[in-house]
Amino acid sequence: MRVVIFSWEFPPRVVGQLADYVRELAAQLVKNKVETHVVTYHDYLTGRYEEPEGIKTYRVTNPVRTHNGVLTWVLTLNQEVERAATNIYYDTDKRVDLIDVQDWHFIPTAVTLKKAFNLPFIYSVESLEDHRSHGADSPFNMAIKSIEQLGMYEAERIVVKSEWMQDEVVRIYKVPKERVKVVLPKSSTWIKDNLETYISVAEGAKWIKN
Amino acid sequence: MDKELAVMMLTWEFPPRIVGGISPHVYCLSRSLAKNGVKVYVVTCDFPEAPQHEVVDGVEIFRIDSYKNPSPDFVTWVYLMNMNMQREAAAIVNNLDGKVDIFHAHDWLVANAGIGLKHVFRKPLLATFHSTQVGRNGAQYEYERMIHETEYWLTYEAWRVICCSNYMISHAKWAFGLPEDKLVMIPNGVNFQEYARNKNPNLSQFRVMFALSEERIVLFVGRLVYEKGVHVLIKALSKVLEKVNVKFVIVGSGYMEEELSNLVTGMGLAHKVMFTGFVDDETLRNLQRCADVCVVPSLFEPFGIAALEAMAAGSPLVVSDTGGLSEIVEHDVTGVKVHPNNPDSLAWGIARVLLDKKYAEQLKNNAYKKVQEKYDWDKISQRTKTVYETVLKEYSESFWT
Repeated sequence: MRVVIFSWEFPPRVVGQLADYVRELAAQLVKNKVETHVVTYHDYLTGRYEEPEGIKTYRVTNPVRTHNGVLTWVLTLNQEVERAATNIYYDTDKRVDLIDVQDWHFIPTAVTLKKAFNLPFIYSVESLEDHRSHGADSPFNMAIKSIEQLGMYEAERIVVKSEWMQDEVVRIYKVPKERVKVVLPKSSTWIKDNLETYISVAEGAKWIKN
Repeated sequence: MDKELAVMMLTWEFPPRIVGGISPHVYCLSRSLAKNGVKVYVVTCDFPEAPQHEVVDGVEIFRIDSYKNPSPDFVTWVYLMNMNMQREAAAIVNNLDGKVDIFHAHDWLVANAGIGLKHVFRKPLLATFHSTQVGRNGAQYEYERMIHETEYWLTYEAWRVICCSNYMISHAKWAFGLPEDKLVMIPNGVNFQEYARNKNPNLSQFRVMFALSEERIVLFVGRLVYEKGVHVLIKALSKVLEKVNVKFVIVGSGYMEEELSNLVTGMGLAHKVMFTGFVDDETLRNLQRCADVCVVPSLFEPFGIAALEAMAAGSPLVVSDTGGLSEIVEHDVTGVKVHPNNPDSLAWGIARVLLDKKYAEQLKNNAYKKVQEKYDWDKISQRTKTVYETVLKEYSESFWT
């Protein structure tokens, strides 16, 4: 199985908890014979490629340097993530099984690739704009929410880290509960649950492609 | 080439959605390319009551969800709209089994979508630059720099950059540091047949809606924004009135509308200037036909389509000697050139045309011949097609194929 993970943080760039979580996930996937590619952002390691613990890691930088907020920053950075991801896609003879989008930032790329190549993706929810902005609904917050909503709608599966978040996703985005899978990070079945989700999404996609 | 060449145009405006010059440009270019055997798909923003999918004059048009929630600002909206545009375009290309040979983006407004589609489908990207941020009002502040850098990024990713005048070629070279061989000059065209057709027999009846019979009509057509120089034209008004009885008719809208109307009122000349706002095509053509002189007083002008339209409509022309206008108009032959940003010079030019009927007649006739020779869309689209073929040949030797 071949997986591409999108994350806006990955060591050595650590912003919050997500960086170490994604590194651990990727490392465990590699140990379980999953070919794992991570596309992430790093400002001064532009174009670098490395393989820490067997994780094929690609770092892209933003083609537009000036921004007035995280939204414009994310939307332009998406294009470089997309470029890196399509390079992986073509270099592997189009044999990518799925994309795992960690948090909302690179949902636009995942959706474009789904539309272009029928490539399925998982939306792994780290947090939601509704909680981060305490219910604020300015045009700025609404735009981020609309991207989250797009992810909820287009993802094959939504993965959350707690039952509380499962309820919140269902409550806020009106997603059927069956589409939201809880994978507890600290549990003994953490990597097994992740693998099962990946396999079911990849198998489902094969059926769609044929 | 054995098989039909297929191009996907990306544009934020396409009729009936008309904001500025890109919409008519893409419409005329696409239609003429289709006549010349190119399969053209246009992907553009939606518009109330315009269908999501239709075929017009052999051109297949897709209108996408242009992100209609309120946006924090215009640039953020552009990026959000681009997110939707490339998502929907990706699905369209997928449905066509990838049978699109070239993506052709018009201005930075579709940069993200064009760049994204290029990499996703590994097909060459062409960009036409109708204007630049540096030229419009500079790239000093954060907001302006975002636009400028997005423009730069589009030129970087494009296989070729098309500009519509030699002036814009050298401007783009300077603004983005582009190499000569990446740039191609193809002028804009004008639909002069449209002006010949449907000639209104009752122009004098139409005319009275805008001016008294003893007033000569001085016509301006364009967005009411700084770089179009409407304020310079208004400042020339009293000088013109010293010599000729005129009515200024100002067609278009823009952020300077209120400022300009205050300026006119302050001069005590509100009865001599008529702001029509945005008008429909037919009214516009009739106005251009019955104008005694058309004025293009721009401070910055990549091309100057308003000048071509006046020439096609058979109206004498006064332009500021700048940018693309300098190349379109030959002084004393096809029009009058005046110093840019100089109301006195502009007033002189207007009076010159209005006071000498024989001279005006001569300018009109020469100008009409010129547009037929040089600015016919059919000929221009063939030049565009040649660029497509050149790019595809180069592409066929690249590692993407």
